[in-house]
Amino acid sequence: MKVLEASGIRKCFGGVVALANGNFSCQAGRITGLLGANGSGKSTLSKIIAGVYRADAGEIRFLDRAVQYRNPNEARKAGIAMVFQNLSLVPDLRVWQNIVLGAETRRGPFLDDRQARRVSQEIVDQLLPGLDIHKLACELNPGEMQIVEIAKAISADPRLLILDEPTAALEKAEVKSLFRFMRSLAERGVAINFTSHRLWEVMEICDEVTIFRNGANVGSIDFAVDGRDPEKIVSCITGVAQKASAAKPARPPSPEIALKVEGLSYGDALKDISFELRKGEILGIGGLAGQGQHELLLALAGCYPGVDCLAEADGKRVRLNRPANAIRNSILLVPGDRELEGLFMKHSVFNNMIFPKLGLARQPVFTPRKQYWAECEAAIDLLSIKAHSLDMPVRALSGGNQQKIVVGRWLSFDAKVLLLADPAKGVDIGAKRDLYRYIADQVREKRVSVILYASDIEELVECCDRLLVMYEGQVIATLEGDDINEETIISTSMKVG
Amino acid sequence: MANNSKGARALRKYLAKPEFSTLLILVAMLILAAFLQRNFFDAKPLNRTLNAFTPLILLAMGQAVVIISGGLDLSAGTALSLLTCVMTSVMHKANPETGLYAILAAFAVAIVIGVVNGIGMGYLRIPSVIATFATSYIWLGAALFLRPTPGGESVAWFKVFYDVKVYANAPPALKAFGAAVPSALTLVLVGCIFWFVLSRTRTGRYIYAVGSNNTSAYESGINTARIQLWACVINSVFIFLAALFFVGQNQSGDARMGDPLTLRAIAAAVVGGVALAGGRGSVFFALIGAVILSLVNKIIFFANIPYAYQTLVSGVIVIIAIASSQGYTLYSRKSMARRGKLA
Repeated sequence: MKVLEASGIRKCFGGVVALANGNFSCQAGRITGLLGANGSGKSTLSKIIAGVYRADAGEIRFLDRAVQYRNPNEARKAGIAMVFQNLSLVPDLRVWQNIVLGAETRRGPFLDDRQARRVSQEIVDQLLPGLDIHKLACELNPGEMQIVEIAKAISADPRLLILDEPTAALEKAEVKSLFRFMRSLAERGVAINFTSHRLWEVMEICDEVTIFRNGANVGSIDFAVDGRDPEKIVSCITGVAQKASAAKPARPPSPEIALKVEGLSYGDALKDISFELRKGEILGIGGLAGQGQHELLLALAGCYPGVDCLAEADGKRVRLNRPANAIRNSILLVPGDRELEGLFMKHSVFNNMIFPKLGLARQPVFTPRKQYWAECEAAIDLLSIKAHSLDMPVRALSGGNQQKIVVGRWLSFDAKVLLLADPAKGVDIGAKRDLYRYIADQVREKRVSVILYASDIEELVECCDRLLVMYEGQVIATLEGDDINEETIISTSMKVG
Repeated sequence: MANNSKGARALRKYLAKPEFSTLLILVAMLILAAFLQRNFFDAKPLNRTLNAFTPLILLAMGQAVVIISGGLDLSAGTALSLLTCVMTSVMHKANPETGLYAILAAFAVAIVIGVVNGIGMGYLRIPSVIATFATSYIWLGAALFLRPTPGGESVAWFKVFYDVKVYANAPPALKAFGAAVPSALTLVLVGCIFWFVLSRTRTGRYIYAVGSNNTSAYESGINTARIQLWACVINSVFIFLAALFFVGQNQSGDARMGDPLTLRAIAAAVVGGVALAGGRGSVFFALIGAVILSLVNKIIFFANIPYAYQTLVSGVIVIIAIASSQGYTLYSRKSMARRGKLA
């Protein structure tokens, strides 16, 4: 049974056409994947279906009726629930308050909190047993937030569930349990629309996929009929036939040490970490989510004043007690969270791109605007960022393009050590490849050293020369050469074998 | 460690909350006040103290609702002045019935004030500071139009809103009640019950949600503009209660009386732990913040500080109060972090 059919959907933002001609349908009890590069219009289409945006043209039929929702609440009441890509929990409310938010049951004029807590507990028990529903949303880690987000969507008992990159913040075990739950929902007759940039997830969970490119759907693959062929999907997304994975470029190990850290400890988060980073090397940090990888990068960037360690950069002692110290020694952090740390959302692309330069000691008194403008245009070209002007606010770009700016602007900079915290979060497959190729080029040409933390193991496997595996704030293994493969990383990080 | 039991951890968690430091400051202030004014806790001086504190308490509670919803009301003081002018213009001393009309008229004006502010903040999306800064001049202008100089008439029975004892013709039941519970306390209690009931409705929950993260609340299907409008209207009800008290006390209206209360009410809410960023804090703790702020003036008065320094010292004390409250919270968080519980 067709639950939803959207045809000829068109949407513009200002002068930018986000969606030129979107066609999409999904059926009860089936999981339909939505794939496409950043800015291909799949997020826009999802949001139009869920009532966040209104389409400029086109028709949406839901349960055989033409519908036009004015806001997400109307859509939710009608049976379309959406889990948003940018987390939409209210930070100062509790988990159970968040789950029922907007759809609270009442007794008379008053809220029925007992009922709300019972319902929330039931859903959370299915998704992530052991999560305390009385915690404030701001106390959760990103994975838990995502689970609560999904719980909230399910609490409305939807006929159609739209999941826009629900797995970006989850680790593999959580993804598996989410998939089991999605399957059981689908078996109960719910239609599910699933978006992810990780190909293996789509291959594993979806029954069919619809692929978007440049604001229009360019293909549909039913796995039962056409078989599960990743290369076909990738070529459909990018529009060119490509090999699934590029061979790792060989880099000769350099004897010179760029950064040496000994006995780094911070509270319970980091315990006695020592390592050496060679020049022109990409050192990965792996392990399960939340084992101190992010904290390690922050500590190296000087964000924890009380941190305890001996560090040497280029043979000189460095005190990692202030971000300014780290920057002076050319240790630069590229924050992963673009919303919170990475970008000035309301400012222009240009301002965001040149911002790191302004902190430089040898910055001239008056900003050489023309020169920087040209440099920015070159950088945007290189990273294939879709922005029609350098003057547009960063907020107006799609998530993946924003991420490219976060990473790209630091790369144009004279860094000795780059700390990358999940640089490809929310970036599509094609862009991810561009990004890492760019990083690799920089490493080779400028002899930059990179410490890379990525939540996606594939990225680590493809890029790293060496890999530290962390567990509960400690480095438990250092992998090199052929040991850097998915199975070894997972088994070491789970402390099996 | 012995003190690592579940109970002890829960206690430490509670002690680390900003609410606790606010209570600590309140107790310290009360002790200091009682020490300086020996009869502080006697019935009569206590009643007088309460009367002096009431307008600020009511305004701070109303302001807290707006701040929690993510806004700020700079027009609260002039709105209060306008309401007193409306009341005293409608009333005629000779005709006791006009008192009722005055209440209805002032309540209607209060609602209009709330709706106008709410439309500006919520529907037109003007930053609340700008919107209410502009409307504050409208209220002031209207008040000056009604009452260019302080004065006006008030019916005698309006005194019950200030103190039942001063109104000789009060019915015996009211007199008995007034003797037991001062009018000022009744007004504050009405405000407290009003908010207590509201906080258990959707609107109450949504005010927090909207203030904490407007976009998230909107995506959850909350009509955020309407909630901001509601917050402004609720604030207006508190301002209305304060106006009743003021007219009952002075038997006159004054277009300039409310002005200085605006920023004091905002400061009181902040002292009470309401976050200016919105979404966090409690309306009842704004009440405590108002008491703390009022006690500062009282302490300065009784400490015999020369008049010239009083304002200066009160400013310093407010800064110390806020800084120590936040410093305390920070310190407890850090000591919790050291014990291995990174926030």
